[in-house]
Amino acid sequence: MVHSRRKRPLAVGVAAIALSMLAAGCSSGKSDSGAGAAPKTLVIDKAFDLKTADPARMFEPTGELVDKALYETLLTFKGGDVSKVVPGVATLDESSDAKTFTLTLTGTHTFSDGTKMTADDVVFSLQRVIGVKGNPSFLLDGVTVTKKDDKTVVLTTATPTPALPSILANPALGILNSKVLKANGGSTDAKDGAEKYLNTHSAGSGPYVLESLNLASQVVLTKNAKYDGAATPTYTRVVIRNVEGATQKINVQGGDAQIALDLSGDQVNGLGSGVKVTSDPSANVIFLMLNQSPAVSRITSNPDFVKAVKASIDYQDLVSMAGAGTSQAAGVVPSMFLGALDKSDALRTDPAAAKAALAKSGYAGEKVTLSFPSDVTLNGIQFPTIAQRLQAQLKKTGINVDLAPAPVATELDAYRGGKETMGLWYWGPDYPDPSDYLVFTPGNVLGLRAGWPKGADTTVSALATAAAAGGSDEERTSQFQDLQRALNNSGPFVPLLQPGNNIAAKSSVTGVVYNAVWTLDIAALGGK
Amino acid sequence: MTRTVLPATQPGPAADLPGRRRPRMRLGRWSAPLGIVGAVVVLLWLVVAVVAPFVVPHDPLAQDLPRLQAPGSGTIFGTDALGRDVFSRVLSGATVTIPLALLLVVMSVLIGAVLGAASGFFGRWVDELVMRVTDLVMAFPTVILAMVIAAALGASLLNAVLAALIVSWPSYARLTRGLVLGLRTSNYVVSVKLLGFSSWRLLLRDIAPNVVGPILVLASLDIGTAILLLSGLSFLGLGAKPPTAEWGSMVSDAVQNFDSWWLGLFPGLAILTIVIAFNFVGDALRDALDPKSVTVRGGGATL
Repeated sequence: MVHSRRKRPLAVGVAAIALSMLAAGCSSGKSDSGAGAAPKTLVIDKAFDLKTADPARMFEPTGELVDKALYETLLTFKGGDVSKVVPGVATLDESSDAKTFTLTLTGTHTFSDGTKMTADDVVFSLQRVIGVKGNPSFLLDGVTVTKKDDKTVVLTTATPTPALPSILANPALGILNSKVLKANGGSTDAKDGAEKYLNTHSAGSGPYVLESLNLASQVVLTKNAKYDGAATPTYTRVVIRNVEGATQKINVQGGDAQIALDLSGDQVNGLGSGVKVTSDPSANVIFLMLNQSPAVSRITSNPDFVKAVKASIDYQDLVSMAGAGTSQAAGVVPSMFLGALDKSDALRTDPAAAKAALAKSGYAGEKVTLSFPSDVTLNGIQFPTIAQRLQAQLKKTGINVDLAPAPVATELDAYRGGKETMGLWYWGPDYPDPSDYLVFTPGNVLGLRAGWPKGADTTVSALATAAAAGGSDEERTSQFQDLQRALNNSGPFVPLLQPGNNIAAKSSVTGVVYNAVWTLDIAALGGK
Repeated sequence: MTRTVLPATQPGPAADLPGRRRPRMRLGRWSAPLGIVGAVVVLLWLVVAVVAPFVVPHDPLAQDLPRLQAPGSGTIFGTDALGRDVFSRVLSGATVTIPLALLLVVMSVLIGAVLGAASGFFGRWVDELVMRVTDLVMAFPTVILAMVIAAALGASLLNAVLAALIVSWPSYARLTRGLVLGLRTSNYVVSVKLLGFSSWRLLLRDIAPNVVGPILVLASLDIGTAILLLSGLSFLGLGAKPPTAEWGSMVSDAVQNFDSWWLGLFPGLAILTIVIAFNFVGDALRDALDPKSVTVRGGGATL
C-alpha cells in the first residue's frame, strides 16, 4: 500500500506531461491545415467489410467506396444511374459484335505525384488486375489488353461481352500510376507485391489520396492537390470509420458523424430534423429458391408446388416489413439495371390460385425445410426475420415450413452444392449489367444450386442464349425482360425484395446520391 | 435435530475430536432474506413456466400485431419486428428455457455423481480414467467448447442441452469424487465394510447421504449458469431455432433494433431475474448446509 502511494505523484506527473504533449500535437496539427481556407472534415460511418485498398484485390463495398475516391476509371456512371455508362478518363468505341472495345484517353489526368496518365498506365493497371488473380480478376476474364498508341488502348474478347463497358466503370479497374507501382513491387503477374504499398499510400489520379488505412477501424483520405478532374471535392479530409449500424444512428444524430451508411429501414425512422435520409432500393436481390432435383426433394421439384409457393407469398407485406427504400424485386435483375422488369410483371399474391396449385401438386402437409444464413443482415434486413415471415405466410396456404438456420460459413456449402430443399439467399451484382444474371438459368451457377441442370427448361435456356449475344440497349432490354418473365413463370427462383439502401446525412451535407456500385461518390458531396 | 460439527477454527487432523453441538441450520446474516426472495422469484418463474401456454394474452408465434410497437399501446411489453407480442413471448420463454435448464442440471448431476462416486470409491484405473476425462473437458473454456459442440451438432435446443451437458458434468464428478474419497476411509465406512456389507450398500446407504448436500448446493448454483449457457448458445444462433420464443434468441433479435429497447430489455430481465434468484437460493442453501463444516472423518455423523 505504502509503496503504491509513493508512486502516485510520479504517475500523475507522467500523465500531465503526456496530456500537454497531446494538446500541443493537436494544436500544431490544426494550425498546419488551417493555413488556407477553413479545412472541412467529413466523417462517414460504415460497417466495414474492408480487406484491402489495392484495386486489383478489392471487391467489397467498403473497398469500392474508398477506391472510387482514390482512383479514376476509364468509363464511369453519372450519379446513381448505373444503366448507362458514360466516359471517365476515356471515351469508348465498341464494335457491333461486342468483341472489340477501343478506349481513347481524353484531356489530361494527373497522378497524385504529378506524372501524367498515359496508355501505359491503363495497360499496366488492367493487366495487373488480370495477372494478380485477386478477387476482381474475373471481371476481365477472357479480355486481352493492348496498347495502340499513347492515348489509345484496345480491349478484345473472344466471345461477345456486352457487359464490358459497365465492368470498366468498377473502381477495381481504377487506373494506377505504373511507375510508382513498379518502384514499389508492382507487377502484372502473381508476383506482384504492391498491396502493402497501396494500403499505406495511394497511386491514383482520383480526387483524394490515402492518408492512412486500418482495415479494422478507419480509413483517412485527404484531398489530392494534383487532381484535375471535373468536380473539385468540397471536403479536404474524409474519415471513414468502422461503426455498426445501431451506433451509426447515435453518431449521426449526435453530430459525431455526418454520414451513416448502414441504417436499416427501421432505424431511419425518427432521426430528427437535422438529418436527411436518402432511401433507394439497393442492387441486391433477396430470393427464395426451390430445389428442382427430385433427389433432393420430391415436393419442391413439383412445378405445381413451385406455383403454389409463388402465389402464397405476400410480397407487399414483406416490403412493408423491410422498411424504408425497400421494393419488391420484379425479376432477378434489379430495378436500376438495363433490362429490369417493370413492376407490372412482378409476381403477385393469389391465395386462391395458391390453394388450387397446392392441391394439384399432391402435397399432403409434409414438412419442407427452408435453409438460410442466420447471421446475414443485408441493408438492415435480417434473414431470420424474412424466413420467419415466409414461414407464417406459407402456413396460411397450408405449406408447413421447417426453418433451418445456420451460420453463413456452414450453410454456404450446402447452398453451393445444390443440397438445400428451399433456400433464402441474395445475389449482389458483380457489375451493373443484366449479363450477370444469366447465372439464374438452367445449367449455370445458380441454376445448378437449385437443381436445375442444362436442358431442364428449354424455353428459359433459349431466351438466355439470345440475351447473352448482345445488341443495342433496346434489344438487350427486351431480351432480358422476356427472359425474366419466363423465369418468373416457370423458374425455381422467387424474387422477393430489393432491400432499401439508406444513407443518413446531416442536412449540412449536400449531393448525397446512392450508387449501386460504389455506394457514394465522396468527391461529389457538397457542404453548406 | 442436531449434528456433530467441527469448531470452525480447528480444521485438519483435529477433525477426529468430538465437536460442540449447534443447530443444524446456520444461515448467514444476509443469505436468509435473500434466499427467501430468490425462492419466491424462482417459484414465480416455475409457476409461469407451467401456466404460460394457458395464460398468454397472444399466441407467442402469431405475427398479427402491428410491428415494433412500444410497450403500452395495446400490449404490455410491446411487439417485435414481426408483430409478435413480446410479453407473451417472454412468458413462453420460461416454458422453453427453465425445463431444459433443469433437465441439463439433473443430467449433469446424475452423470457427474455416478462417475465421481465410482471414481472415488473404486480408485485405481476407474479413477484414472474418469479424472483424465474430466481434466480433458475442463482444459477447454466451457462456453467455447459448448459452442463448438453445438455448432457441430447443428442448431437446435436439444443439441444445445447436449453440448452444455458435455461441458458441465465434470465439476460434479470432481466434487463427488473428493467427498467419496474422504468418506471411504472414515471410521464408520470402514466398520461397515468390516461387518461384511457389499460395496453397493456402502455407496448407496452410507456414503450417498453424506454427499447429497454439497451436490445439491452446487446444482442450485448451477441452474443459473445453465440458463445463461443455453440462452447464450441461442443468442449465438446455436440453440433455439426461430420462431421459438427463447430468451437468448429474443435478445439476439434485439441487437439489430437498438431503438426498440423493449425487444431486448424484457427477455434480458427475465434471464437476469431467474439467474440471480437461483444464485440467491444456492447461496442460502450453501450457508444452510455449510458443507465445509460437515464432519466427514468424525465417525458416525451424518447430515
